[in-house]
Amino acid sequence: MAIGILAGQQNRDGGWPYVHGSSWTEPTAYTILALLAAGETEPAERGLRWILATERPDGGWPPQAGVDQSTWVTALVALLPAERLGARAHARAIAWLIETTGRESTLTYRFREWLLGNPRLPEQEFPGWPWIPDAAAWVGPTALAILALDKEYRRRPLPAIRERIESGRRFLLARMCREGGWNHGSVRALGYEARPYPETTGMALAALRGVRSPSTQRALAVAQRFLGECRSADALNWLRLGLLAHGQLPAGYCHPLEIAERTLPDRSLGLLVAEAEKGRHFLLA
Amino acid sequence: MARTLRSCERTGLQAGHPLGPPTPQGKVGRTLPSVISSRLLTRRELLAGAAGTTLLTGCGEERPIVPSTVSIVRAPVYDQRLYETVRRMLEEHRLEVRGRNVVLKPNLVEFEPESSINTHPLLVHAALEAFRAMGAATVRIAEGPGHRRNTLDLADAAGYFKTVPSFEDTFVDLNLDDVTRVRPARQFSSLGALYLPNTALGADLLVSMPKMKTHHWVAATLSMKNLFGVVPGGIYGWPKNVLHWAGIHECVADLHAAFPRQFAIVDGIVGMEGNGPIEGKPKPAGVLVAGRDRAAVDATCCRIMRIEPLKIEYLRMASSGGSHITERNIRQIGESLPVVATPFELIPEFRWVRMENS
Repeated sequence: MAIGILAGQQNRDGGWPYVHGSSWTEPTAYTILALLAAGETEPAERGLRWILATERPDGGWPPQAGVDQSTWVTALVALLPAERLGARAHARAIAWLIETTGRESTLTYRFREWLLGNPRLPEQEFPGWPWIPDAAAWVGPTALAILALDKEYRRRPLPAIRERIESGRRFLLARMCREGGWNHGSVRALGYEARPYPETTGMALAALRGVRSPSTQRALAVAQRFLGECRSADALNWLRLGLLAHGQLPAGYCHPLEIAERTLPDRSLGLLVAEAEKGRHFLLA
Repeated sequence: MARTLRSCERTGLQAGHPLGPPTPQGKVGRTLPSVISSRLLTRRELLAGAAGTTLLTGCGEERPIVPSTVSIVRAPVYDQRLYETVRRMLEEHRLEVRGRNVVLKPNLVEFEPESSINTHPLLVHAALEAFRAMGAATVRIAEGPGHRRNTLDLADAAGYFKTVPSFEDTFVDLNLDDVTRVRPARQFSSLGALYLPNTALGADLLVSMPKMKTHHWVAATLSMKNLFGVVPGGIYGWPKNVLHWAGIHECVADLHAAFPRQFAIVDGIVGMEGNGPIEGKPKPAGVLVAGRDRAAVDATCCRIMRIEPLKIEYLRMASSGGSHITERNIRQIGESLPVVATPFELIPEFRWVRMENS
């Protein structure tokens, strides 16, 4: 039923909107994964053709066709199966991710800071990923890039991939809120400790799959608390996936039926998480 | 202090660390003037001021500025009386919206319905009803929050679904709207062209409806800063960090220039003071402030908050060095400023913007 709804929302160009209107890369990538998981290959193939048509010359993907900038959504394209997307396009997406860092990690910025005599901060030691090039790295895009690279590393265990996964995970651990969990990436702001968000806590935990430490334990406790309180489908999807990645999703957990799925990614991601709960992973390596 | 604030906001790091001011294009001199002292005029401001003066006094002839009308209306609480209050307030401004498309842009920030962080839904609904009654062809509510991606969930938590009938049909998530690449009419930042949402660009009247708040990076966030919410997160991310790298004040001024068909209604019934725009304390001011000239509206709000508007960098930039926002160039209607003025607490870094006679 839900898969039928997804297929029915496909735009004529082959992509999917967030709610209605033009096709965007994020809903298209998640929906292709959900359709492939359900064995619905025909609409998925049309979606893949839309994805391939929107690739940019630098090997990255724009958030929407016509936008002249590759962004974080390249990680979502890299999560698509290489055998479906095409080896060349997939490899270029991975290469774009490996080359992309937050602006604060670039040589130019670091050199300038050195010239100005500003000490390097612990939070800046490890490169993460920005939403858009020339901006700082944040938790959301870093978590998604790690998921994509981790999946690729199982297929192609290259040192360059491992290195970015490890530094990305250190970035996440350095940006954890004091109480555990993550917000968008500001650990502290003027005069207060920033508080974690459910959605970014789930995303970061998914990206930290296999990392066991007191920090991740604190984050898992926060995620468990959010799971009981949260009323957002997007946040619950990521919390479930994050807890599942650490084997901590409560046994018999039932997704509340009254939670509204507001956007297409809410729905497709929900289907992918439900598959993951059955042991079929399309987002986690 | 401006030096530290800007760097922290760009990188999401702890305030107070000695990270220097990264320059937008690696040109060290570019941001130096604002680093030297918050109180000194920057080179850009001097140029803007000079340009403004030239415009005003071209050929040695002084041209009077047409005063902007700003209304201050008492509104002690969020209750049903707001509908009548807002209707009357808009009538006073004689807005011609018959057959036009109106977009209301509230400020939605966090999932905290009990706090004073978001524009109150009752006020937004009152404005929606008033514009409909004035004959607007369409009235939509549109917002693109800067931190949280699940906008509709945030609007739900903020009470919009309960307050506004058929809210989902009325609302546009500006973060995910279709976009057009535009170059603002005047540019103060290094951004160049910017993708902006078609819903906001296509509005005949974009009504900025912020909360009256102090802000830990720019001292006060009002109708002009509220336009950060039109920059699409779907393109630029959450937060919209490119704006921080390009200069917050400069980008506020850019966005002000990008949307000339605007009106502002500021929710000062209960504002936020101290460490705003998120961690501050509720501050009842009991007023609505409205007008067509957002810089004049924001300057008036500052005076109510007992903040000197000419010390707010983006207000000076957007008003020809401040000439348009002096008290004598604003035609105040409704309540008088001294009667409604109530000092908003400021964090120590911004105590210097306090009006001197406060």
